[in-house]
Amino acid sequence: MKEKTKRIIAFYSMISPWFIVFLVFGLYPMMYGLYLSFTNYYGFNIKKLKWMGLQNYHKVFTDSDAMYSLGRTLYVTLINVPLGVAIGLGLAMLLNRPVRGVGVYRTIFYLPSIVPALASVLMWKFIFSSNNGVLNGILNLFGIDSVNWLGYDYATTSLLIMLLWGAGGGVLINLAGLKGIPRDLYEAASIDGASPFKRTFHITVPLMTPVIFFNVIMGIIGSLQIYMQPILLNGAELLARPIQPNYLYFVHAFQQIFAFQRFAYGMALLWVLFLAILALSVVVFTTSKYWVHYETDQEG
Amino acid sequence: MKTETTTKGSIPHYAALIFFSALFIFPLYLAFVLALSAWNTTPGLVPVGFHPENFKYATTLINFWHYTKNSIIICAITLITSTLTSGLVGYAFARIAVPGRNVLFMIVLSTMMLPGIVTQIPQYILFHNYGLLDTFWPWLFWGLGGNAFFIFMYRQFFSAIPKELEEAARIDGCSIFRTYWNIFLPMSFPVIATVSIMTFQGSWGDFMGPFMFLKQDHYPLATALSMISYKFEGQEDMILTSVSTAAAILLIVPVLVTFFLGQRYIVEGIVTTGVKG
Repeated sequence: MKEKTKRIIAFYSMISPWFIVFLVFGLYPMMYGLYLSFTNYYGFNIKKLKWMGLQNYHKVFTDSDAMYSLGRTLYVTLINVPLGVAIGLGLAMLLNRPVRGVGVYRTIFYLPSIVPALASVLMWKFIFSSNNGVLNGILNLFGIDSVNWLGYDYATTSLLIMLLWGAGGGVLINLAGLKGIPRDLYEAASIDGASPFKRTFHITVPLMTPVIFFNVIMGIIGSLQIYMQPILLNGAELLARPIQPNYLYFVHAFQQIFAFQRFAYGMALLWVLFLAILALSVVVFTTSKYWVHYETDQEG
Repeated sequence: MKTETTTKGSIPHYAALIFFSALFIFPLYLAFVLALSAWNTTPGLVPVGFHPENFKYATTLINFWHYTKNSIIICAITLITSTLTSGLVGYAFARIAVPGRNVLFMIVLSTMMLPGIVTQIPQYILFHNYGLLDTFWPWLFWGLGGNAFFIFMYRQFFSAIPKELEEAARIDGCSIFRTYWNIFLPMSFPVIATVSIMTFQGSWGDFMGPFMFLKQDHYPLATALSMISYKFEGQEDMILTSVSTAAAILLIVPVLVTFFLGQRYIVEGIVTTGVKG
C-alpha cells in the first residue's frame, strides 16, 4: 500500500469517532431542528407536521417578549463580557509575578468558575436576600440603606455580580498567554524608564490581544446563552418565569419550549440567536486584524 | 531570582492578592456559615449555633448516595470516552497531513460556537423516538464524539512536538496508531490531566442535560439537588435551607479537591498547548 493511502486511512479512521458523532448527534439534529422551526410542531403532532414557512421567524421579530429579552441579553452581555475579560486579565497579571503560595491564590481565583451553577446560585441568594441578607448587612455597616437586591430595580445588577464572581475562570488561559511574553521586553522598557502603567498598556495588553480576542469571542457566545442563573436566582421552580429585568432571551426560549411546548417556535428563537452569534463572531473576526497583534511566525 | 521590578511594590501586590482572594472566597465562607447554622435562622458572618449534623441530614433526608452513584456513572462514561477520543482526533489533526484536513478542523472549531441547546432539543425528539430517554446511552455517544475545545488543546500540544520523533518510530516499524499510543499519548500527560479535570468539572456540575434526558431515579446529584428540596416528613412546608446548603457544599467538594490536586498540571497543560496560537 502506498504511504499516502495509508496516511489517509489512518487519518480518517482516527477522526471517525468524532466525525460520526458530529454527523449523527450534531449536524443531523441541527438540521432537523431547523426543519422543525418551519413547522407547527407542538409536541404531539410529530407524525403530521404542517409546513408554516417563515411564520415562526416572523413571530420572533414581532413577539414583544422576545425583543424585550433580546435587549436585556445584549445589556447583560455588554457589561459582563468587557468586565469579565478585564478582571480575568487583571487577576492573571497579579499571579504572573513571583509570589509565595501562588497555587493557593490561583485556586481561589479559579474556584468560583468551577462551582456548579446550582450551588453558586444558592449561596448568592443567601447573600442577596433582602431581609437580614449579608450584603445589606455590610451596606448598613457603612450607613447605606438596605436594597432589595432580587427586586425589580437591582435584579440585573445582582445577576451581573454573580456572573462576574466567576470571571476568574479566564485566569488560566490568560496566565498561559502572559508566560509567553518575553521577559526582556519588560527589562528593556524599564531601562528606558517606562512606568509600570506604561509597561502594562504598551507591552502586556498589545501582546495579549490574541488571548483577549479568544476570551471576547467565547464570552459573547457564553453570555448570549445565559438562562440557568436568572431562572435559579429568581424562581423557585425551573419552569417559573424569572423577574422581568432578568427575563433573558434564552430564558424566553426555554419557557416557550418547556413551559408551553411551543417547540417549533422555540427552535426558531434559538436559530435566530445562533445566526446572530455567527454574525457577531464574523464582525469580531473581521475587525480583529485592526486590534489583534499576531506573531509573524503563524503556523498554517 | 527576584529582579528589581518584582521586589518593588510587592506589598501592594500582596495586598491586592489578599483582597481579591477574600472577595472571591467570601461567598463560599458564607455558605459554610449557613450550612453549620441552626435551621430557619438567618445567620450573618458567624453561624447561629454549631450544627455539623446538617451535613449528615444532607446525605440522609434524600437518596443522596443513590444520586451520587448516578453522577459517578455519568462522569466515568464521559471522562473515559471524551478524553480518549479528543486525544486521538487531536493527534490526527496535528500529525497526519492529508487533503481536507484544514476544512475538517475548521468544522471542529466552529462547533465550539454552536449553542448546545440548538442540538439538544432535536436530540430529545430523536432519543425519544429510539427509546434512549432515561438511559445513560446519550452520554456514551456524546463522549465518543469528544469535545471541540479539548481536540483543539491536544492538537496544539501535538503540533509542537519535533518531527524526528515520528520518523524514528517509523524506522522502527511502528504503525501510525502505535506511534500515537506508545509514544505521543504518554508524552501528553499534562494535557490529559487538564482535559480530565475540566471534563470532570463540567460533567459533575451539569444539571440541565440530565434534567432533559433522564427521569428522577437516574438523576445525578447536581440535578437531584436542583429538583428536590430538603424537608422533614410531616413538615412539607418547611424547606431546610441549612441542609440544602450543606448538600451544595458536598457537591462542590470533589470538584475542589480535583482542581487543587491537578492545578499544577492544568497550568502546565494550558501553557504548553499555547491556546493563544
